[in-house]
Amino acid sequence: MSAKDMAHHIANYRKIFVYLLIGTALTVTASYMEFNVQNSIAGAVFVGLTIAAIKGYLVAANFMHLNSEKKIIHWILLLTVFFLGLLLFIPLLWDLNLMSHY
Amino acid sequence: MEIPYNVQVREDTGVYNSKLGIWLFLASEVMLFGGLFSAYILLRTGAPVWPPIGEHGSIMHLLKETIPHATFNTVVLIASSVTMVMAWVSLKMKDLGKFRIYLGTTLICALVFLIVKYFEYSHKIHEGFVPSHDTYMALYFTLTGLHGLHIIGGMIVLGYFFGPGIKMWDNEPERFTNRIEIVGLYWHFVDLVWIFLFPILYLLN
Repeated sequence: MSAKDMAHHIANYRKIFVYLLIGTALTVTASYMEFNVQNSIAGAVFVGLTIAAIKGYLVAANFMHLNSEKKIIHWILLLTVFFLGLLLFIPLLWDLNLMSHY
Repeated sequence: MEIPYNVQVREDTGVYNSKLGIWLFLASEVMLFGGLFSAYILLRTGAPVWPPIGEHGSIMHLLKETIPHATFNTVVLIASSVTMVMAWVSLKMKDLGKFRIYLGTTLICALVFLIVKYFEYSHKIHEGFVPSHDTYMALYFTLTGLHGLHIIGGMIVLGYFFGPGIKMWDNEPERFTNRIEIVGLYWHFVDLVWIFLFPILYLLN
């Protein structure tokens, strides 16, 4: 990598650092706000987790260099995300199953 | 016998072996934390009140007190991710002096994170909020404890590269740079996990 490329990387890392700090501030602020979705905190949970997902993406894409990684790594992660989704969905299936008995 | 493809890229995968190895390891880590996140969803959706009210009442008042500490820890961990990636950049630029500074800063950030966590744990345990108090506390200690163990594990590896492991730079600089990239990927993953733990355990209750 040339010095110019490195300078570009460093500038990008600084920018991402600032974005992550802003994201953290927004998450904390969102937790204090009243979103009032059916008198629950569902709105705050949605906003909080969306910001966390964006922050996670910024870390993975830039610091972990996923934006310029090889296909095989992307495939491994895609498979992992699929099974993670399945794992997170299982509790919801459990809930739906319980509800069908009432 | 020399281990192949530590520096050279394999033609079939397009990456060097250690990188493929760490990504497979991180995939298994995603599932490990994923299982606990799944337990969190199940217990949270099934609880009439969250966090549940136990023998010592609700943890809510303590949680509100610890939000500034947890926010501080989030900033510290994000900063450590930046210094970690900068340590790798320093090696790419063949600047060992800067590498030491950035890696040292990463280690200090990790230590600060653990110290804050120690005070947080002590405070909660002192008030009677132990893992057996309620399901929230059980999840809180399991998730943050497992994450803390990952921080300690990372610190041991980073400490090795800061100390005796740095010798490799003299004879095999490219291999050493790759090693730092690998440990960096692990470190960023630990940061990524915290990015999700922070809102679900401290803020969204």
